[in-house]
Amino acid sequence: MSVDTIASLAAPSLFVGDVTLRTLDDDIYRPMESFPTMRWWMAIAVTGTMAAIFMVCAAITVVRGLGTWGINIPVGWGFAIVNFVFWIGIGHAGTLISAILFLFRQRWRTGIARFAEAMTVFAVIVALQFPLLHTGRPWLAMFWLVPYPNGQGIYQNFRSPLEWDVFAVSTYGLVSVMFWFTGLLPDLATARDRAVHPFRKLVYGVLSLGWKGSNRAWSHYEKAYLLFAGLSTPLVLSVHSIVSFDFAVSVVPGWHTTIFPPYFVAGAIFSGFAMVATLIIILRRMFRLKHLITDNHLELMNKIIVATSLMVGYAYAIEVFIAWYGGVAYERFAFMNRAFGPYAWAYWIMVTCNVFVPQLLWFKKVRRTVLLMYPVVILVNVGMWFERFVIVVTSLHRDFLPSSWGYYTPTIIDVGLLVGSFGVFLTLMLLFCRFLPTMAVAELKVILSEKQHDVARHG
Amino acid sequence: MNLESVEKNHSREMMLRLKAAALPSHGENPTPPDEMTRRDAIRVLMGASSALALGLSGCERKPKRQIISRVAGPEYQTPGKALYYSSTWTEGPYPYGLMIKTVDGRPIKIEGNPDHAINRGTTSAPMQAAVLSLYDPDRSRAPSHNGRTTPWDGADRLVIEALRSASSVVLMTRSNLGPTERELVLKFISSTRNGRHFVHEVVHDGPRLASWEKIYGKKGEALPRFDRAAVILSLDSDFLGTDGAVLENIRLFTDGRQVSDADHRRAEISRLYVADGAMTVTGSNADHRIRLKPSAMGRLARVLLRAVEGDAKEVNAFASEAGVSSALLSAITEDLRSHRGNALVVAGPHLPEGVHAAVAMLNDALQAPGKTLDWNPVLPNLSVSDPADVEAAFERGVDVAILLDTNPVYDWPGKDFTPLLSKARLTVGHSLYLDETLAACELALPSSHNLESWNDAEPRGGVMSICQPVIAPLFDTRQSAESLLVWTKALSAEGDAMRNFEDWHNYLQRRWGERMAGAADGGEAERRQSWEDALRTGGSFVTAPPVPFPKLDRAAAEAMSQAEPQGSGLEAVFLPHHALHDGRFANNGWLQELPDPVSKVVWDNAASVSMQTAQRLGVAEGDRVAIRVGEHSVELPVLVQPGMADDVVALTLGHGRTAGGRTLEQAGGANVSRILGRSSQIAPRLAIGLQVTKGRGSQQVVRTQTEFSMHGRPIVLDGNLSEYREDAGFVEHKRHRPEPVTMFPPYDYSKGHKWAMAIDLGSCVGCNACVTACQAENNIPIVGRKQCANGREMHWIRIDRYLDGDTENPLVHQQPMLCQHCDNAPCESVCPVNATTHSPEGLNEMVYNRCVGTRYCSNNCPYKVRRFNFSRYHEVQMHDPVQELVFNPQVTVRGIGVMEKCTFCIQRINEGKFLAKNQGKAVEDGGIRTACQQACPAQAITFGDLNDAKSKIAKMHAAKRAFFVLEEYNVKPNVAYLARVRNPHPALAGPTTESRHG
Repeated sequence: MSVDTIASLAAPSLFVGDVTLRTLDDDIYRPMESFPTMRWWMAIAVTGTMAAIFMVCAAITVVRGLGTWGINIPVGWGFAIVNFVFWIGIGHAGTLISAILFLFRQRWRTGIARFAEAMTVFAVIVALQFPLLHTGRPWLAMFWLVPYPNGQGIYQNFRSPLEWDVFAVSTYGLVSVMFWFTGLLPDLATARDRAVHPFRKLVYGVLSLGWKGSNRAWSHYEKAYLLFAGLSTPLVLSVHSIVSFDFAVSVVPGWHTTIFPPYFVAGAIFSGFAMVATLIIILRRMFRLKHLITDNHLELMNKIIVATSLMVGYAYAIEVFIAWYGGVAYERFAFMNRAFGPYAWAYWIMVTCNVFVPQLLWFKKVRRTVLLMYPVVILVNVGMWFERFVIVVTSLHRDFLPSSWGYYTPTIIDVGLLVGSFGVFLTLMLLFCRFLPTMAVAELKVILSEKQHDVARHG
Repeated sequence: MNLESVEKNHSREMMLRLKAAALPSHGENPTPPDEMTRRDAIRVLMGASSALALGLSGCERKPKRQIISRVAGPEYQTPGKALYYSSTWTEGPYPYGLMIKTVDGRPIKIEGNPDHAINRGTTSAPMQAAVLSLYDPDRSRAPSHNGRTTPWDGADRLVIEALRSASSVVLMTRSNLGPTERELVLKFISSTRNGRHFVHEVVHDGPRLASWEKIYGKKGEALPRFDRAAVILSLDSDFLGTDGAVLENIRLFTDGRQVSDADHRRAEISRLYVADGAMTVTGSNADHRIRLKPSAMGRLARVLLRAVEGDAKEVNAFASEAGVSSALLSAITEDLRSHRGNALVVAGPHLPEGVHAAVAMLNDALQAPGKTLDWNPVLPNLSVSDPADVEAAFERGVDVAILLDTNPVYDWPGKDFTPLLSKARLTVGHSLYLDETLAACELALPSSHNLESWNDAEPRGGVMSICQPVIAPLFDTRQSAESLLVWTKALSAEGDAMRNFEDWHNYLQRRWGERMAGAADGGEAERRQSWEDALRTGGSFVTAPPVPFPKLDRAAAEAMSQAEPQGSGLEAVFLPHHALHDGRFANNGWLQELPDPVSKVVWDNAASVSMQTAQRLGVAEGDRVAIRVGEHSVELPVLVQPGMADDVVALTLGHGRTAGGRTLEQAGGANVSRILGRSSQIAPRLAIGLQVTKGRGSQQVVRTQTEFSMHGRPIVLDGNLSEYREDAGFVEHKRHRPEPVTMFPPYDYSKGHKWAMAIDLGSCVGCNACVTACQAENNIPIVGRKQCANGREMHWIRIDRYLDGDTENPLVHQQPMLCQHCDNAPCESVCPVNATTHSPEGLNEMVYNRCVGTRYCSNNCPYKVRRFNFSRYHEVQMHDPVQELVFNPQVTVRGIGVMEKCTFCIQRINEGKFLAKNQGKAVEDGGIRTACQQACPAQAITFGDLNDAKSKIAKMHAAKRAFFVLEEYNVKPNVAYLARVRNPHPALAGPTTESRHG
């Protein structure tokens, strides 16, 4: 076994080729400082159109009401809640990467942390549109769910999981934004320092909050970063646990299960990593960052994906087992209905995409070959969306009294909002790539200098 | 934000507006009817033409002539307080008594007149919906001549001149004319040259009445007394759905099905056998049901007759021939034979004369006449004319054709009526809507609504019912009798008595006085008193001395019973629509959206067939089929209906209307009257030997319930009489009681009230009256066909229907389902904004103003009784100056985006509580009644205070048959259901829920 292999096993190489501090800066800041490429323009034209579709559909929803959606009685929640849970889940990878992996000193996270965090922030922004839009009267819901001092003398109902959601998601959103912004400070200062145009200098100057790179600043920065990492870590577990309570706390067969919190967290990380992989592969190609976001990064993410896939698969199995073992007729029926009822197609898409397909990632070749892994991560994204669809819709459409059973078919507005939400998200991502450093440059520099130091020491 | 506008308390505002406007006109009402005051004279001169210009909601619209409310003593109106008026439902197939609630002069709710001898305070769905038709903006609003609005006097001149010069006149009416109206028709006919009166009706008792007349030798009808019968056999008679005095039938039938826990060992209830071709409400309530083609009913009746008379040879042969269980037929025979004197056989009005003759002989053999059958010498309806006669009259040439409140252009059997109509020189149509017929008439005259009209009805000896208006006509309309009177007066010679009648009201009043023997002798004052009493109570309901049942002419009956309808193959029965009847109520959204009690279809009609027939025809649900009878054919989607007899197609009348409003244009379905038989034929609503071919494409038949299996869940429990006799608490073994596990001390409801409901499934026949009553009381919107197709109907109460056992001939369970007001309500804990909470009186309350519409409560409701305003369902109705008048001012009109559900009629609860408090009394048991309870013809619903130990509700909740749906979830519902006790023949006792649910 060669020395190289042993070294790569011990600490996978996070850079490819000859990366110096200067080329690092140049490579990462180039997209911000040069006129956008044709590819970028084409991409944003597409995503911008999709985002416009979102705006139009949202406007129609607010003005004409929820009658424009496919929801009904019994299926009171449809695409909106599916999308909400999906997008909140997507955000989880960002927090996991930036907080938990940071605390565990996983060096490889640096290359993808910024990008994943940005994804978190944008995913939360997109996710938040749905619970608001899905209410019958969003103009009231937007503040009646918040406990502000008011003259009505009515407080919120703190027994409602939806109220818990308000706190969980808003905390998550705020902490994610602050964490992300704190991490950005040194890199924004670099952008300011590299800026030529005075306006550019001003904007990045204001954004970097007067960062000077002094020892004191670095010392405070690192403490703050650690603090945020500590704050965010429980959030990774809590947010999706609480989102899962929306279902688990109810009496609906198929929702009322104790496995939901861990199952949702695992699913969130699973889908989050799949989304990071999906996007970062495009990013590194679009901005030529292959030497900074290496195949090693991808492989490590794929390992997490296959691990969480097993967790999710276990949850699927145990749910069915408990439904049988618990002996509650309604619950047994709910799971039989999932697998063999009118929405069986959705269930089997879910199982296939989330459990069977990711098993391909056991093969190293698949993990390291973009062309092979890309379909896998895309299917995981699809599968995880369907997981939420299966949970929300198939449980509701046939519950206790067969007299009320129904079927849910999304309308064009539902589809528009789903497609549009990707548009909003991707547009924000593209703007992020254009205006902010996509990688944590300051952190990379630390690793790079350590690597150079190692190279110098071991020759 | 503008979206907020729906939030304001619309009804209250409207009430205030009405109130303010109503005050000045107060005191105008008690004008002595016989003296023409100056004010009256001006009003008459101005004519009703200015009525429209007065605006509708702007002022109280008391009818011109004195009306009298049910209040004893001096009548005065407190703004905002309800006044109740007695009246009669004259627009429907049977004249029931109404009690109309008016607020500030505005009728807002129909109840049954509790004094009325026949319906005794109960109502049917179409009765409940009358207020919606009253305020229907699509009503014809002014007379028009060739499409141009014309004043009434101009129209009258035109008609009178034409009548004077006419050498032949045809008057066509409906069959449900009151006695005074019938008299007026005779007067009118006699005052014209060659006048002829025809009665047109598609749904009628023709064959049955004709048969009785022939075999009993006199006009009249045999009234079934279901309460006195221990064994009832129905041959295709939907007596609990559409046949006869349904409200009375339901009451009598359920009277005979009552059990009492105290005496359970000796419990006796009637046994109902039904043989029917189509699945009906009656069939759904049968203890044993035979699926049988209508054409075989006569055979069955004759076979049973022979068997009852001692010769049971044919039973087995018939059983194998008709594919019926011979054990069941033998059981029926045995049961009938052993219950002479308290057995009863009824046959559907659409069956041919021969069947009725055979049934009459069978009843005679069972000694039913005088015991389970009474004779009613008065016919509630006129007999229907032979369409051929009408056609011949038109073919010969008619100078003036007058069509009063009838719509032959829509439902003329087997022919297009328009060409016939156009043969008349002057065609005059008179109807509530600009319907198909009015559109084809030269002169289209708008009729006043039932609630704007004077009339009377005499459905039975001793039952004289008065119809008084409760509001002046909303539009420039006139009731058809008034028009007829105006024309008759003009035609009658100088000095004729007719000339003395001022108006129709006057005519009716005089005739009433003459009818009320005794009062007539007593002079003016007494006559006036009798009239006023009649208006107050709704008429005169005296127990007429029983009329001896006429003797059966056995030979004639025997001869007649041999006549069989000819033909073989597929048969069609034409059923009146459960709500739209023959289509006359087609523009009523409440009725269009009322699920069919059997198929749960709304806004549509379909061709119902059995599974086997569908298979044989190679069609599935929704596939379109062409049904051909003779030269006409109609295309409809198929509905696979368990319980249908094989080779029978059930078609519903009343759909496929093309003119007469915007609501009916939304409805699906097709007009089946073209393939209807003629009443000259042996059975007009029966078609034999039709051809059914697969048509092109398929279409969704909109149904509010699509799953009819209980999936083995303990939702509706029932038991057999034998079980109940053995153990009144049989239901205990089938219940799933929860372990009461809770972290919290239970709430103490023992102070004040604890409201609860009980529904006796043993009484409920599934007629739907409660659904419309609730809709009317609680301002429930109509959502339309498309929204129903997407599961967005808004009814707060629905009748769940489950089928059990044999898939082709299932046992039916029906269960009214409404908010269960759970004490551990799953909906309450999940609402993030506390919009749904529990009251200290045990009510699950919904705060519309607070609701933001997350719909989590609905998802978490195990009964799925919560309803969401997905769209602005009330938008049009709220802003239409006419339609908005129908709203109950005591109930909030909900806007978009909020959840709603049954409130246990909290407005009625509070009214009752306030009333009791003002009087310094406790709330009396039964004093507060919910809308559904009040309407229920079976009186299956009980509401009250559980804290009142002596109350009926406390007894019902403590009944041994009581169970709670989904009680294993420990949600503690406040609605108890009392298990149905079925009464199968002991030799054939089928499975009950126990064995089904293990």
